[in-house]
Amino acid sequence: MVVDDHPMWRDGVARDLGERGFEVLATAGDAAAAVRIATTARPAVVLMDLNLGAVSGVEAIRQITGTLAGTRVLVLSASGDHGDVLEAVKAGASGYLVKSASVEELVDAVRRTAAGDAVFTPGLAGLVLGEYRRMAAEPAERDERLPSLTQRETEVLRLVAKGLTARQIAARLVLSHRTVENHVQSTLRKLQLHNRVELARYAIEHGLDADPEAERTPQ
Amino acid sequence: MITGGAPEAGVPEAKDPTTPLWRAAVLLRVLTLVFAAGVVVVHVGEYARPWLALVAIGLMAVWTAAVTAGYLRPAGRRLGFTVADLVVSCATMCLSPLVLTPAQLAGGQVPLITTVWVTGVVAAGAVCAGPAVGAGFGAVVAAFNYGVRGYVDTDLTRDLILLVGVGFVLGLAASTSRRSAERLEQALRAEAATAERERLARSIHDSVLQVLARVRRRGAELGGEAAELARLAGEQEIALRALVSTGSVVREDGTVDLGARLRLLATDRVEVSVPATAVRLPVALAGELEGITREALTNVANHAGPAARAWVLLEDLGDEVVLSVRDDGVGIPPGRLDEAEREGRMGVALSMRGRVAGLGGTIAVETAPGAGVEWELRVPRPGARVAVAR
Repeated sequence: MVVDDHPMWRDGVARDLGERGFEVLATAGDAAAAVRIATTARPAVVLMDLNLGAVSGVEAIRQITGTLAGTRVLVLSASGDHGDVLEAVKAGASGYLVKSASVEELVDAVRRTAAGDAVFTPGLAGLVLGEYRRMAAEPAERDERLPSLTQRETEVLRLVAKGLTARQIAARLVLSHRTVENHVQSTLRKLQLHNRVELARYAIEHGLDADPEAERTPQ
Repeated sequence: MITGGAPEAGVPEAKDPTTPLWRAAVLLRVLTLVFAAGVVVVHVGEYARPWLALVAIGLMAVWTAAVTAGYLRPAGRRLGFTVADLVVSCATMCLSPLVLTPAQLAGGQVPLITTVWVTGVVAAGAVCAGPAVGAGFGAVVAAFNYGVRGYVDTDLTRDLILLVGVGFVLGLAASTSRRSAERLEQALRAEAATAERERLARSIHDSVLQVLARVRRRGAELGGEAAELARLAGEQEIALRALVSTGSVVREDGTVDLGARLRLLATDRVEVSVPATAVRLPVALAGELEGITREALTNVANHAGPAARAWVLLEDLGDEVVLSVRDDGVGIPPGRLDEAEREGRMGVALSMRGRVAGLGGTIAVETAPGAGVEWELRVPRPGARVAVAR
């Protein structure tokens, strides 16, 4: 499923994917439609632009990944919106690709997303690294629930940010390719988990949770 | 003045921030006139020339009306007018020796014909031209006070201090409110400019950039001349994106976001990774680090081979920043760097080492033939110890 507010781009990407053997179940032009259509179409991968006009793609990603267990979201966006990309992966997107990527890169990324891998550009690795360091530096967020990277994960993420492929990283650190992929995925999973805990805590603290039982439910 | 004449686009007629002070000065003038008239009523029977006292009060009333009309309009608030006000006020004071008997004048029990009415001109001068002029007007009025009385005593000296003090304080209030109004206007203008830039950036992002990205991708697939056009479109896409990305503005504390600066170095061969939050560094340090990065990238373009790509990574560790530049080019054979240094050729390594050492940082280089070159710079953040201690 392809979500983009620009018809030319949307149809172009859908055609590219169709030509290479993917089944494009649906397309959508805005965030609300994306959530609605994804719920019925249940695609394996949602390819999503973040710049969707009034409603941001981030909220749509939160809803799609929150309700549809089998659906993964790959963000396909212009490299300019750094903050949005970080918010998108925190909201549950499992990867990010710049719009200027070649069709081969796109196809490879969609295939890997469908297989459950995290698709990292060097830029995204730099953002995620920066986010862990920001959290570690802020005293208000320094508690036992704060996720932190292991030394190995930091090492792997830095190499991704420096443009090394998973295979090159595996060779340099003398690890298996699979182990490297797992480390990368783990950095993203921890960040998303932390984000969900934060949101839940915020909702309870501010009385946004309608269910009174929820207050007694351990986090 | 032309303040009301040419309103700027969308901004209503500029308001004089000292208008409330002018109104207060005029009110003071009217109240002191009433007081002066009261004093004349009380003492009129004892004066040497009662008729002149009434003439003087009449004159003061006319002049009070004139300055009220003048000062209540922005066009009338000119230094020339306040100086004329000073001349009239002091001249009126000089009628006192003719109105009062010599005994009254020397005694200090009966006030001068102008009484406290003369403080009004001090207030006007101060609000018009600031603390120095305000204090100066106060001093002039006090000098006439001494001159007309013909002696010096503690009461007259107290008047001097009060007059100069009132002029100074009111002048300070006026210039402060003028300055803050100016700043506010600047801030509003900057905000409007930023908002406009962001609106423009969004609209370019949603239209031109999308099309360029599409052209770049399809063209590259078609090959041949289309591939060349795609490459050109790609270059323009990156240049335009860098142009519309905001955030590299120098802040008031003299720091700049190095991340935003480095992002502008991205091309189709260079990928730049920075944190989402700003990496604030003093302008000079950020400029030097950007320069070193440019030097390393130039070196990649010149020596790493035509197909080489490069990656720049910026990390903020709080007390230090780490900057990595890596390429996948031909690399440098072992010993080549040392060899170049021995031969006295100012190689890129030596130049970069010197620049980083100048910043109090360290630099490490890793390379092998065919495996590219990787630089890693670590530079301490100035004033980091303070941040850690807090």
